[in-house]
Amino acid sequence: MVTLQVLSNGILLGGLYALVALGLALVWGVLDIINLAHGAFIMLGGYIAYYLFTGLGLDPFASLPLVMIVMFVLGYGIQWGLLNFLVKAPMFNMLLVTFGIDVVLTYLAQILFSADLRAIRPAYAGSNFTVLGITIPLANLLAFVVALLLTGLLALFLQRQRWGRAIRATAQNLGAARLHGVPPRFAYALTFGIGAALAGAAGTLYGLVAQLTPYIGVPLTAKSFAIAIIGGLDNPLGVIVGGLVLGLAEAFGSLWLGPTYRDAVSLGLLVLVLIVRPTGILGKTA
Amino acid sequence: MKALPWALAVLAVAALAVVPFTLSPVLVQFGISTLLLAVLAQGWNIIGGFTGYASFGNSVFYGLGTYGTAVTMTKFHQSFALGLVVGAVVSVGFALLLGLPVLRLRGHYFAITTLALSEAVAAIIANLGITGRNTGLILPLIRGDSMFYEMSLALMVLATLTVWWLARSRFGFGLIAIREREDAAEVMGIPTTRYKVLAFGLAALFSALAGGIHAYWITFIDPASAFDISLNVRMIIMAVFGGAGTVIGPVVGAFLLSGVAEVLASTVTGIASLFFGLVIIAAVVFTPSGVIQAIRRLPRRGLATFLDAVRETRL
Repeated sequence: MVTLQVLSNGILLGGLYALVALGLALVWGVLDIINLAHGAFIMLGGYIAYYLFTGLGLDPFASLPLVMIVMFVLGYGIQWGLLNFLVKAPMFNMLLVTFGIDVVLTYLAQILFSADLRAIRPAYAGSNFTVLGITIPLANLLAFVVALLLTGLLALFLQRQRWGRAIRATAQNLGAARLHGVPPRFAYALTFGIGAALAGAAGTLYGLVAQLTPYIGVPLTAKSFAIAIIGGLDNPLGVIVGGLVLGLAEAFGSLWLGPTYRDAVSLGLLVLVLIVRPTGILGKTA
Repeated sequence: MKALPWALAVLAVAALAVVPFTLSPVLVQFGISTLLLAVLAQGWNIIGGFTGYASFGNSVFYGLGTYGTAVTMTKFHQSFALGLVVGAVVSVGFALLLGLPVLRLRGHYFAITTLALSEAVAAIIANLGITGRNTGLILPLIRGDSMFYEMSLALMVLATLTVWWLARSRFGFGLIAIREREDAAEVMGIPTTRYKVLAFGLAALFSALAGGIHAYWITFIDPASAFDISLNVRMIIMAVFGGAGTVIGPVVGAFLLSGVAEVLASTVTGIASLFFGLVIIAAVVFTPSGVIQAIRRLPRRGLATFLDAVRETRL
């Protein structure tokens, strides 16, 4: 019974993890940029949703599109006005600048929102139901569903839509995409904006099932890395696999080895995957 | 011709060496941490700057050096010197052992694996009895900032001389070849695996020694501070800011950025970190190949140095 309960917890957590990593994996896979500020974007999205909830009484699921629009504009602006100037610089430079953005956002959040713990708690936050003796919290289930929905929508967008295909073309070959009329600066900004919007969505759901502080960014970035690596970068659906693997590993790691080993389990898993399959579980072999 | 840079370097080291006898104790403490950071940046320079492998595992080497020294001194009651040796041996051994599988990975994958390794090692240390678990270890107290200062300075000079040797040795050229194009280097007959693992070990050696000195100076260590990943990020920032793959760049970067951080901390106390973030962003955007490079170009090109740099790296 305990095993089933842990299994269900791990799966629900894994769905949210998939969304947490989705934006990072998109930006990494398409632009070859590792956005170290990804976790800070999630944090920011969470706070926007929190203030929409406490200030305007807006339900987090209603404010989700709003948060995503705000974060899209922010991400678009950052790529257009800053990161586009570094694309041809060595890899470290991009890491450093996104790290700088992370530092700036974290301390802005500390000044603006204070370091107190915040959580989005609508009326249904505490309710749960029982299936086959397994307790399922409603908020976690809703977050899980929305996370999978958004991941699916992104996959559809990339496959079917004109600009989604332009983004994929950019990922495959920048020069050829440019020759076919894809303006690279715009494609980059669009992709980064979508990545930030997805981070905002993840932050909204994160605020619903966990607690927000200005400092959640870096650990979330690290988890997103692990998920993106485990799932591979070729396919947006890979993050679902990565998220579920990490969610289950953390849940069962805590159960069997104790909570102090939880992070070690997930990271050990990451190292193992990288050494055995350097392009991820679903990734193509080079 | 070649005498001038050498004379300047000797003069700079001499000037640094007399700091403890002339300036305030606060400045000496600032000096110790800056010199140790310069050693760490120089260590990262060997694997990151020369070999082109963006290591986030250098803080593990630092942490193992810290713990090797501390455990030897507190649990086995041995001397500090032996502690340093043990820390260095453990750290270099770890680097050589893990280098083999991990250095097969390239680019971002290598970066993330080393990041994960550092978290995993921190978690293991935090669960071991001999390392004092999460509570950490307290080292014997010793007063003598001047001694720690001179030791740090000596280590910094040693690290910089090593990098200077790298920049003109067959081994160093091999590392640069690996950075520029590993497959081509392999074809040219460079034993890439052996070179990479050796570079990793060399980086580990200096990081571990810096960790050992820091542990004895601070007299208290715990997993959170010994395996702090942001320390690794600072090494990279300092090396890249000064100029990764140059001999003197990482040292210049460490001194400039520590100075800036210190000034910010005392003038705009509450928002110092915020400004530090902005400084990093501006520095990387305007001097993408490092400050040393920009200083070399500045007399000829003037302000255009910065605009050219931005234009060169723009999408």
